Amino acid sequence: MDVFLWVIVPYLCLATFVVGHFWRYRYDKFGWTTRSSQLYEDRLLRLGSPLFHFGMLGVVGGHVLGLLVPQSWTDALGVSHETYHVVAVIGGLVAGLMAVVGMAILIYRRRTVGPVFSATTVMDKVMYAFLAVVIVLGMWNTIAGSILTVGGEYNYREGVSVWYRSFLAFQPDASLMADAPIGFQLHALVAFGLFALWPFTRLVHVFSAPVGYLTRPYIVYRSRDPKLGSRRQRRGWERVG
Amino acid sequence: MSNEPGMDGSLTDALVRSRRYFTRRGEVSDDLRTLTRTGGRQADDFYRDRWSHDKVVRSTHGVNCTGSCSWKVYVKDGIITWETQQTDYPSVGPDKPEYEPRGCPRGAAFSWYTYSPTRVRYPYVRGVLLDMYREGKRQHGDPVAAWAHVVDHPQRARAYKAARGKGGLVRATWDEAVEMVAAAYVHTIKKWGPDRVAGFSPIPAMSMVSHASGARFTSLVGGSMLSFYDWYADLPVASPQMFGDQTDVPESGDWWDAGYLVMWGSNVPVTRTPDAHWMTEARYRGQKVVVVSPDYADNVKFADEWLAVAPGTDGALAMAMGHVVLKEFFVDRQTPYFTDYTKRYTDLPYLVTLDAVGDAHRPGKFLTAADLLTHEDVENAHFKPVLLDGRSGEPVVPNGALGHRFGETGAGRWNLDLGDVDPLLSLLEPGAESVLVELPRFDHVDGTPGSLRRAVPVRQVGDRLVTTVFDLMLAQYGVGRDGLAGDYASSYDDATAPYTPAWQEAVTGVPAAAAARIAREFARNAEESRGRSMILMGAGTNHWFHSDTIYRAFLGLTTLTGCQGVNGGGWAHYVGQEKCRPITGWAQLAFGLDWKRPPRQMIHTAYWYLHTDQFRYDTFSADTVAAATGTGRLAGLSTADVIAKSARMGWMPSYPTFDRNPLDLADEANESGRPVAEHVVDRLRDGSLRFAAEDPDAPENFPRVLAIWRANLLGSSGKGNEYFLKHLLGTDSSLRATEAGESQRPRDVVWHDEAPDGKLDLLLSLDFRQTSTTVFSDVVLPAATWYEKHDLNTTDMHPFVHSFNPAIAPPWQTRTDWDAWQTIATKFSELAAGHLGTRTDVVAVPLLHDTPDAMANPHGVVRDWKLGECDPVPGVTMPKIVTVERDYAAVGDQMQALGPLLDKLGTTTKGVTYDVTASIDYLRAKNGTVRGGAAAGRPSLARDVHACEAILALSGTTNGHLATQGFKTLEMRTGTALHDLAAEHEGKQITFADTQAAPVPVITSPEWSGSETGGRRYSPFTINVERLKPWHTLTGRQHFYLDHDWITELGESLPVYRPPLNMGALFAEPELGSTGELGVTLRYLTPHNKWSIHSEYQDNLFMLALSRGGQTIWMSDRDAAKVGVQDNDWIEAVNRNGVVVARAIVSHRMPEGTVYMHHAQDRLIDVPIAETSGKRGGIHNSLTRILVKPSHLIGGYAQLAFAFNYLGPTGNQRDEVTVIRKRSQEVTY
Repeated sequence: MDVFLWVIVPYLCLATFVVGHFWRYRYDKFGWTTRSSQLYEDRLLRLGSPLFHFGMLGVVGGHVLGLLVPQSWTDALGVSHETYHVVAVIGGLVAGLMAVVGMAILIYRRRTVGPVFSATTVMDKVMYAFLAVVIVLGMWNTIAGSILTVGGEYNYREGVSVWYRSFLAFQPDASLMADAPIGFQLHALVAFGLFALWPFTRLVHVFSAPVGYLTRPYIVYRSRDPKLGSRRQRRGWERVG
Repeated sequence: MSNEPGMDGSLTDALVRSRRYFTRRGEVSDDLRTLTRTGGRQADDFYRDRWSHDKVVRSTHGVNCTGSCSWKVYVKDGIITWETQQTDYPSVGPDKPEYEPRGCPRGAAFSWYTYSPTRVRYPYVRGVLLDMYREGKRQHGDPVAAWAHVVDHPQRARAYKAARGKGGLVRATWDEAVEMVAAAYVHTIKKWGPDRVAGFSPIPAMSMVSHASGARFTSLVGGSMLSFYDWYADLPVASPQMFGDQTDVPESGDWWDAGYLVMWGSNVPVTRTPDAHWMTEARYRGQKVVVVSPDYADNVKFADEWLAVAPGTDGALAMAMGHVVLKEFFVDRQTPYFTDYTKRYTDLPYLVTLDAVGDAHRPGKFLTAADLLTHEDVENAHFKPVLLDGRSGEPVVPNGALGHRFGETGAGRWNLDLGDVDPLLSLLEPGAESVLVELPRFDHVDGTPGSLRRAVPVRQVGDRLVTTVFDLMLAQYGVGRDGLAGDYASSYDDATAPYTPAWQEAVTGVPAAAAARIAREFARNAEESRGRSMILMGAGTNHWFHSDTIYRAFLGLTTLTGCQGVNGGGWAHYVGQEKCRPITGWAQLAFGLDWKRPPRQMIHTAYWYLHTDQFRYDTFSADTVAAATGTGRLAGLSTADVIAKSARMGWMPSYPTFDRNPLDLADEANESGRPVAEHVVDRLRDGSLRFAAEDPDAPENFPRVLAIWRANLLGSSGKGNEYFLKHLLGTDSSLRATEAGESQRPRDVVWHDEAPDGKLDLLLSLDFRQTSTTVFSDVVLPAATWYEKHDLNTTDMHPFVHSFNPAIAPPWQTRTDWDAWQTIATKFSELAAGHLGTRTDVVAVPLLHDTPDAMANPHGVVRDWKLGECDPVPGVTMPKIVTVERDYAAVGDQMQALGPLLDKLGTTTKGVTYDVTASIDYLRAKNGTVRGGAAAGRPSLARDVHACEAILALSGTTNGHLATQGFKTLEMRTGTALHDLAAEHEGKQITFADTQAAPVPVITSPEWSGSETGGRRYSPFTINVERLKPWHTLTGRQHFYLDHDWITELGESLPVYRPPLNMGALFAEPELGSTGELGVTLRYLTPHNKWSIHSEYQDNLFMLALSRGGQTIWMSDRDAAKVGVQDNDWIEAVNRNGVVVARAIVSHRMPEGTVYMHHAQDRLIDVPIAETSGKRGGIHNSLTRILVKPSHLIGGYAQLAFAFNYLGPTGNQRDEVTVIRKRSQEVTY
C-alpha cells in the first residue's frame, strides 16, 4: 500500500504532468491560455488575482526551500533549526494567507458573478476544488503542525523533504512518507492529483508567464530570418535570391 | 531629472536597461522604446497559412433571398474553408454608392453545410419500400413491374406510406435508387397518365440550370410543373390586374434615386440585407424614409417616421392617403404633372357604362369601340375601350388597346401616342347630369359587406350612360365635389365616411393627421421631383387573403402621383428572387420548348387545395367574400366548384386534366377516327369525360409522383402542413379540423364519403441537406451544393448576371441537379422503350396572357358551357386541346441536346417572337454537337456549363443581337422607336466565362419593361413611359378599374379596403383577443426570419448560435401576461389546422394581439412532442391552410389571363389565428 501511494501514484502523476504538457502544447496551442475572465469582471479580480498570485509565488518559493534544500545545507550555513523554523513559519503564514484570501475572493467572484460563472468549465471547477484542498491542507500543516503542534512535533525536513528528493532522484523511499502525519500525507497526495490535472487545465499558463515583459520595450521589431521566408523549403522548389 | 522623453517612469526605464544582464537577444534602442531582433517570425506562419489557399472560386447562394451576392469561396487541401464577399461588381457610376459590399452573415455561414452532419451524402430510400421493391424485382425481374408490385397492392402501399416521416431511410446505390424512380415514372405515365406526374422547384433566378434540370425532364415526359410565385403568396395579383405585367420592379440602386421612400411591409435590413445600405445612404442625400409596420421592426430604427398600423389593415391607410392625394392634388388644385401623367398612362379618362339597378346605378363594363356606331365594325372592337376627347367632346378610340396588339389593323398602332386628343378626365362641368352609384364597402365591424351611394357626373354616349374611371375613383375614395350628392365625406375628420383619414384611424390605429401628412408629403415630393416617390413593399402586406386590394390601394398612390415608370419612383415590390433576367433562354431549357410544346404548367395553390383535400374542410361558400353590390354570380358555389369552373372554362390550367390517362384519350380518339379536340368536346358534352378537378378524390385523379428539388415544400411553403401529411402522404398528422357538413359541400365537385389518405405514390427529393421534405420522402438523392456546380444567378435587386462555380467536385456520392436528372432521364428512357414507346399526349392549354387568347371573353363576361351558357369551343370557352407526340425512349437524348423546334418556331416571351437560328449555330460551335441518337447534330446540353451557355445565348438580356431583334419586331407593332435601347450592345454576347470573371450587367431587352441603356439604374415601365409602349392591359394603360364579372361580384372594380378574414365567422375559431380555458387567441403571422433564409441556415451551427435556435414564437409582454407566459417558456399554439410547440420570445417590440412565428423554422431542430396531439409538435405551417380567393382564378380576359407565375390564386396565410397557452416545461422528444 505504501509503495502504491508513495511510489506508483506519484510517478503516474508526474508522468501525466510531463507527457500531458507535451501533448497539450503539441495539439492545443490555441487553447494554451489562462482563460482570462477580466473582460467579464475586473473589480474583484483586481484585488483577488494579485493577492493570490503573489501569495502563490511565496508559497512556491517556500516549498522549494523546504523540499529541495536539505537540512544539512542550512545546518552547514549555521542556520539554527529554530531560526529556520521561525522564518519558514512567518514567511509561510504570510504567503499562505495571501493565497488563501486571494483564492477565496476569486472563488467567490467566480461563483457569484454570472458571466464569469458561465465561462467556467467543468475542468475549471475540478481544478479549483483540488487547488483549494491543497492550499487549505498546506495551511493546516503550517498552522496545526508547526505552530499549534497538534499531534506532536514533526520535522518535515527529515521526512517528507527527504522522501521528495528521493522521489526526484528516482530512488523513492516510501517508508519516509508512510511515517508522516496524515495532514502531510493528504497534502502530498492531493497535490499530486493536482499535478496530474495540471496539463489539462488553465494552470498551464504558469509556463507561459510573461516574465520577459518586465524588461522588454513595448515595440519589438523582428527582421526577416536569414533564410528566405518563414516556411520550410519544399521539395522540388528551389529558392531564388 | 532628464528632459528627454522617456518611457513610463524611472522604474520601467531601469528594468528595460537591466535587460542586457538577462539576455543578449535583440538590441534595445537608445530611447528604450524599441527592441530589434533578427528572425523569430515563425508565428507568422500561422496567419500566412490562414490566408494561403489552393484556390479562390467565385460562386453564390441559390437560396431565394434576392441578395444574389457573389462570393469568393476558399479551398485549401481540397477542403472548402470559408467564403468572403466579392468586391468586383461593375461600378454604377461616379455619383452614387456602389453595389458592394454584398453579403450577409447567413451567406457567410454557408460553407458549414458542405461537411455538416445534416449533409445528404448518399442516395437514401425508405427501407420498407426498398425491401418490397427488391422483392418485386426478384419476382418479376422487371423494375416497372416491381414498382407496380408495391404501389398497386393496397397493403404494401399502405405500409410504406404510413412509414413516411418516421425514419427508416436506408442507403441505396445511385443505380438502384434511380432505377426505382424511373420505374415509378414509367408505371405512372403508363397507368395513370403523364399529367399525374408533377415537379416542384421554385425561383429559377436563384440557380437557373438546376431549376431547368428537373423541369426539363418533367416537361419532356408530359408532367406538370407546379408554379411557385402565386403559391408562395408572393405574387401580387394587383400587378397583373393593374399593369398586365408581373413583378417588374426597380433594382435597389434605384432607391438612391427616390426622394421619398415608404417601407411598407418589407423589413429591408432583415430581408434585403445586402441592399439595405442604399436605403441608409439615400437618407444622407435628403431622402425621407417612412416605415409602416405593426411591430417595432428592424427597419423602423432607420425611419424618420413610423406609422404603427394594425396588422392587415394597410389597405385602409393607403385608401385614406389616396383620399388626401385625390382631394388635394386633383380636386382642390389641379397638378399638371399628375393630370398629364394619368391622362396618358392610366385608364382614368376611359369611359365606364353605368347600369341601372333599382333607384341607383352600378359601374359596369368599359365602353368599347363595339358600343360606338361609328366603330362597331373595326377589328377587335370589344377590346378597344373609349374615352372622350376634351377638345371636341366626342368619343375616341385611342391607340394602344389590347385590340390593337393583335390583328392586322393594329400593326403600328399599339402605342400610347394620343396625337391631338386631350383625354377628358372628368365629366363634371357646370350643369352636368349626375346619378347616384352604389359602391361596395367592407369596413363594418362584424365584417358584413355594405354599400354606399355617391353621385358621379354622367353623359349619354349612344344608348349608354357613362362616366369616367376618374369620376368613379373620386366617388370610391369619397372625395366630393360641388354639385354631387351622396354619402361623400364632409371633411378629413368625417370618421363615418370611407376613406377619410379619420375613418382609417379607427381601423388602423394610425393618427388621422399623420396619415394625411404622409400622403401630402408623398404626393408633394412626386410633384416636385416628377415622380420620385417610392413605396417599398413586400410580404408583410402581400401575404393576406385580400392583398390584391391592399396592393391596388398602394399602386393607386404611386400611379396617381405619376411615379410608375420613373427612376426613383413607383412600386418596389420585393418578395422572392423573381427576376430571372435571361428568362427566354431559361424557359426554353426548363420547359423543353426546344422539343415539345406546349408544356404543362399548373397553378400550385389550387393543386394542393384539391389534392391535399383542404377543400373538404371549407365550411363556407365562395360567395362569402362577395360584395353587397354583387349579383350572386358565385352563389351556391364552393371554392372547389369555382376552381373546377375556372378549369373547364380554360381560365386557369388544371392538371391532371381529365378523369383518364391523356395517352389513352388520344388512342380513344384515334380509334374513333376523329380529330382529338372534337372527340374530347363530344365526350365532355355527353358527360363520359370529365375534368379531374371535378372529382379530385377519385383514385384516377390523384397526383402520383412528385419530385422536389431546390425546395422544401413540407418545411417551408406547404400551407396546411397537416393536411399534406394526412391526405397526400398518408402518415400521422395532427389535423384537428372537421369536414364540411352536407349543406356546405361542393355543388359540382364530387364528394367521397371517405377522404383518401396517401394519394402520392412517390415523393422524390433532391437536396444537399436534410429538411422536413427529405424526411418525408421515399427517395432522397444527394445533391451538390452551391459551391459544387456551375450555374447562373440573377435577382431583382441588381442588374448583373453572375455564376456559380464548383470550388470542389461534388463530394461523397452527391451529384449536381443537372447530372442527377440526366441520369434519371437516361434510365427512364431505357425502361420506357419497352413499356411506353411513342405515344400521343392530349394537353389541355388554358387561355394565355400575351396571346390573342386574352380576347376570348369580351367584357369579362362569364360563360360556362357546362351550364349551357355557351358551346364548349376549345381555345375560347374551354381550354385548347393540343396533341403532343412523345417518344418516351428518346427523352434521355432530348435532355442532353437543344432540340429542333427552336429553329422552326423560335422563342416567344411576352408576345415577342425571336428568330434564334444564329444562336443555335453559335451554340453548336460553343457546346459541340451530339453524335448519334435522337438528337444527332443538335447542340449539346450534356454538361451544366452547356446549359449555362444556352441560356445566355437564347436571351435578349444576355445576347445583344436578340435584344435589338426583339425591339425591331416590337416596333412593327408599336410604330415607335425602340431598338436603339439595345443598339449599344447589339454585338455583345455574354458568355459563361464572362460571368465567371465578374458579375456582368445585362442588356436592355423587350423581355422586361425597364431600361439599363447607357448604364442607368433599372426601373420598371420606363420604356412604357418614355417610348409610349403600352402596358399589356385592356386599355394598354395602367388600370384602376377592372370590369370582369367576378371582380365586380367581389366589389373590387376599384381600389377598396377589405379587412383580414374573420376566422371566427368562417371556421368557428375563438374570437381574436379573447382569453379562455385553452389560452389566448391571437393573430398568427409568419414573417421572414432574421437568422435564416426560409428554412436554409436556421439549422446552421453559426446561425443557431447567433439566434435563440429552435422553433420560437414572438409575442408581446401584454399577451404573455394574460396566459402567464414568460420569456423562453415552452408554449403550445393550437388551432383547427394543427399544433405547434415552440419557445416564447416575449418582447415589447410586438404589438398586443399578434404573434410572429418566423416561417420555415423546419422540424429538424428542437421540436418536442405536443401535449395537445401526442405527436411531434409541428411547424409554422401546421397552423395554416390554403384559402383560395375566387377572383384569382379569373382568366381569358385581357390582362386577367393565365401565364406561369404571372397570375394564379395565392397561397396566402396571414389571416390565420391561433390559441396560445403555456405548456408543461418538461418536454420530451
